[in-house]
Amino acid sequence: MRKFKLQSDERPIEPSHAQIDRHKNVERFYHDYELLTKRSKKPIYRDRKLYLLMVLIGIILFLLFFED
Amino acid sequence: MKRNDHKHLSENELIALAKKDKSYFGALYEMYFEPIYRFTFKRLGGDEDVAADVTQLTFMKAMIHIQQYEDRGFAFKSWLYRIAQNEVNMYFRKEQKTKHVSIEKRHISEICQEAQLGRYMSIEEQERLVQLLNEMEDEALDLIELRFFQELSFKEIATIYNISEANAKMRVYRILERLHKKWEQGS
Repeated sequence: MRKFKLQSDERPIEPSHAQIDRHKNVERFYHDYELLTKRSKKPIYRDRKLYLLMVLIGIILFLLFFED
Repeated sequence: MKRNDHKHLSENELIALAKKDKSYFGALYEMYFEPIYRFTFKRLGGDEDVAADVTQLTFMKAMIHIQQYEDRGFAFKSWLYRIAQNEVNMYFRKEQKTKHVSIEKRHISEICQEAQLGRYMSIEEQERLVQLLNEMEDEALDLIELRFFQELSFKEIATIYNISEANAKMRVYRILERLHKKWEQGS
């Protein structure tokens, strides 16, 4: 929630060039973007639920194959 | 990353390339970081670090959704302003504590003139005007901020809200009329 207040001094609300330069960083931008968007690299065997599901699918396929 | 091979390219060419290859987006980031940072900085009342975070988020969202950008006669910068505006509003909504945003006195004078509240105002009257502004709903405050504190043109405001320039003008002047009535009622 925001509330306005009257500025006590006459200084304009503008960032200085030093402030702009401090935050302008394209390398960090790409790095943060990678972190935000990259997929989890967790291997399947580390994910217990997914691993069990794969085993279960394997068993079902195995049983279906030998039923014939 | 393609860093130096974009200098001869126009903005539209860069956007087209960035849609296919994200590494070209860096050039757009370099071009527009400063105006967007200035925009968020002012809207957040000079909070340097929060403005940097919001600016970063703005560019990330722009890069993620760049496929959705279509050049329909408004500038890419206005599209970025629209994203930044949403990000700032989201920040205000998430904030549990009330965030105080400073307003320069010259901006209060401009509102005062446009709303026909008189040419000169004492400090007490200026404080009262700020109080009246604080009583308004967020949508109205956003428009007041864009027009008077960010000093955007009606055309730029229209692009941010995806409305016509005449509609943007009408909305701002209706708010000023309401402000004028409230002022008169309180006098």
